[in-house]
Amino acid sequence: MKYLYVYPEKCTGCRECSLACSLSKFGECNPKKAAITIVRDEFNRYEFPIVCFQCEDPICLKFCHQNAYQIKDGIVIRDKDKCIGCRLCATLCPYNAVTTFDDEIVKCDLCDGDPKCVKYCSTGAIQYLDETEELEKRRKDMAERFLEIFKK
Amino acid sequence: MFKGKLGIIDLSKNKITIKQTPDSLKKLFYGGRGLNSYYLYKMIKPGIDSLSPENVLIFGTGFLTGTLAPNSSRFNVSAKSPETEILGDSNCGGYFAAELRYSGFERLIIKGKAKKPCYLYVTDNKIEIKDSKYYWGMDTTDVQQFLKKDLGPVEVACCGLAGENLVRFACVRTGVKNAAGRCGLGAVMGSKNLKAIAVRGTQGIQIKYPEEMLETVEQLKEYIMNSKITSILGSVGTPLLYEVSNAIGAIRTKNSQLNAWSDSLNAEEIEKLVDKMIGCSSCIVHCRHRNKLGGEGPEYTAVGLLGANLGIEDPADVIELNNICNELGLDISSSGTILAWAFELYEKGIIDKKITEEKLCFGDFELAKRLLYKISRREGFGNILAESTKNVKRFGEKSKNYLTAIKGLPQSDPHDCRYIKAFALGIATSSRGADHLRSRPTLEIFLRLPQEVKERIYGKGIPNDPTSYIGKEKTVYFSDNIFALIDSLGICKFICHGFNSPHFVDYTWMKKLIYSASGWTVKEKELESVGKRVIDIERMFNNREGISRKDDTLPKRYFDDPMPLKISKGHCIDRKEFDKLLTRYYNLRGWTNDGQVKKERVKKLEALA
Ligand code: SF4
Ligand code: SF4
Repeated sequence: MKYLYVYPEKCTGCRECSLACSLSKFGECNPKKAAITIVRDEFNRYEFPIVCFQCEDPICLKFCHQNAYQIKDGIVIRDKDKCIGCRLCATLCPYNAVTTFDDEIVKCDLCDGDPKCVKYCSTGAIQYLDETEELEKRRKDMAERFLEIFKK
Repeated sequence: MFKGKLGIIDLSKNKITIKQTPDSLKKLFYGGRGLNSYYLYKMIKPGIDSLSPENVLIFGTGFLTGTLAPNSSRFNVSAKSPETEILGDSNCGGYFAAELRYSGFERLIIKGKAKKPCYLYVTDNKIEIKDSKYYWGMDTTDVQQFLKKDLGPVEVACCGLAGENLVRFACVRTGVKNAAGRCGLGAVMGSKNLKAIAVRGTQGIQIKYPEEMLETVEQLKEYIMNSKITSILGSVGTPLLYEVSNAIGAIRTKNSQLNAWSDSLNAEEIEKLVDKMIGCSSCIVHCRHRNKLGGEGPEYTAVGLLGANLGIEDPADVIELNNICNELGLDISSSGTILAWAFELYEKGIIDKKITEEKLCFGDFELAKRLLYKISRREGFGNILAESTKNVKRFGEKSKNYLTAIKGLPQSDPHDCRYIKAFALGIATSSRGADHLRSRPTLEIFLRLPQEVKERIYGKGIPNDPTSYIGKEKTVYFSDNIFALIDSLGICKFICHGFNSPHFVDYTWMKKLIYSASGWTVKEKELESVGKRVIDIERMFNNREGISRKDDTLPKRYFDDPMPLKISKGHCIDRKEFDKLLTRYYNLRGWTNDGQVKKERVKKLEALA
């Protein structure tokens, strides 16, 4: 199974990933309307790509009262037709990985195995790799690190 | 919408008008610097005082700013310059311009003067003029941080203390270190009682052909990333250029009394103080160094002008001076040039303690630091230095012989232009005074680049000898034109064909990007004529202010004092050869022998609307 792994120490904050995501999904360049979000603050000196961690026990799925979420081949997918747009998933996801924008809910679907964010990143700050034990550990570390940053 | 709005803000009348720039005009000037220059020419009456309410201040994003197009982060700030009283214009990266596009605006034109300190708050399709009493007097980081705290996640462009106090080389700053540095545009903000513009936008830029843009950018990215230059700039940034110039003995040192300086400022030394390399919006080069001393930089200009030119060797000192300039909102290029000028004048006895209040000497870091603070507050001798090159009047005619400035603008390039003749012609003819970012054909430094590579870019008949005057009008002409267009598209010069690399974004790539974004089909030739048009309208602005051939000249030292060190030793500029080169350049441009845009052309460009 392949997943997205993030390397914040390589992230420059440029947002080419989010722009590519919004361009391919909505035909527009809008970093705020993308499944990948870059949390950056040059004054407080951090850049952090936020991607969906495709949790094993996903909160979005667990709490969705319309059963719009399911896990397919290890990927947490939202069924647009079942979704009524209540945004509960976006509120509950501890990693802020579900983006809401006007009436849209944007959730990473790994672009059918060819994630645009990875393709347009020029530093390797997001990579799409076969899972290994080491990488899994990293994925969990990152999730924790994110929670720390977010608490600040 | 792909097209953004034009906001016109009259601070005297407290009135906001929202319009749109017609497509017909965009096809002629695109955006950014080009459209800004067009509006300056149309809106500013000749002879006005640059610090009066009559001046017009423009923030204009480029045609492609905020899109997936690589390095499309840029905007231009333009007005009549308080430092030179001719065209003032400065290009800047960061995240402000993209955010402005996402708010639905592509350009803000600010007129008049507010009765009391204010700032502009721009949100989706809306502009408000707000009271900034609370923010007035703040350093550039503080004001941005407080605005973020008070308004939420906004991007801010602001002036510092220097701008508030009308220092003639005050910059406009955004983020930790991005600056529209040149021409004193921060002072124009100050003169209008405008502390900042805060923007927050949530709208996307609609792309005409998304698939095409994704494809074009994928190819372009690969092309750019494969170049060696990209990876070097991405790992050490611009300080690399210091070393390149220093190696041939062309780093302005101690006000150009010398032409080479210490290796302690080489990129590898600077690198030791770097925490992480970061980028501007959409940037794939990421040349910005977050330093370990709490700021960003230094760039090549800071290394040269706050280091070598002031006789300072310690990179940590240079970084500190760099960070101070950023906080106070001072242009680094002018600061380093004006301080060095004063130091030499003092050494030569042309000025003395009666006005300087204390002993001035090169290499004194504490002195430099103190003077920067004094300049920004216009205290004592700082109040005098704040007048920049206008001090020739106060210091006397003789002082002019030691001033490295053209048309009143201190030279930005730390490169001593006596050796490479194309650089000399470039700074002599640039539309904003002594500045290298208008036309510097950097490839001239790379002495081993095969002649055919240069000829493919610039045309036939250019000897592979940087000290030769032959054909150099062509290298400057080409660079001037293509840089004017890249500045109008909102893309960083770092990925422009012919700036640092013989590859990168040329007219064909620009054509593809423009097509995918807007659906416009244009030919390379038409794109080339955009740059020419921009340069002509800028020259018309300057001609109207009295600029002619007599002003397209060089600092006296460049003509009369041969360089003392390294392979540049013995070189200077020959007046006769330079004169002939200038004539050839005018011919290429189609200007008169006196450097005026011809009457027919003026009529034609004035009729555009
Ligand atoms: S959206 Fe959030 S909760 Fe759901 S799988 Fe992704 S990271 Fe986990
Ligand atoms: S494209 Fe890469 S470097 Fe740029 S913001 Fe995204 S993750 Fe960071």
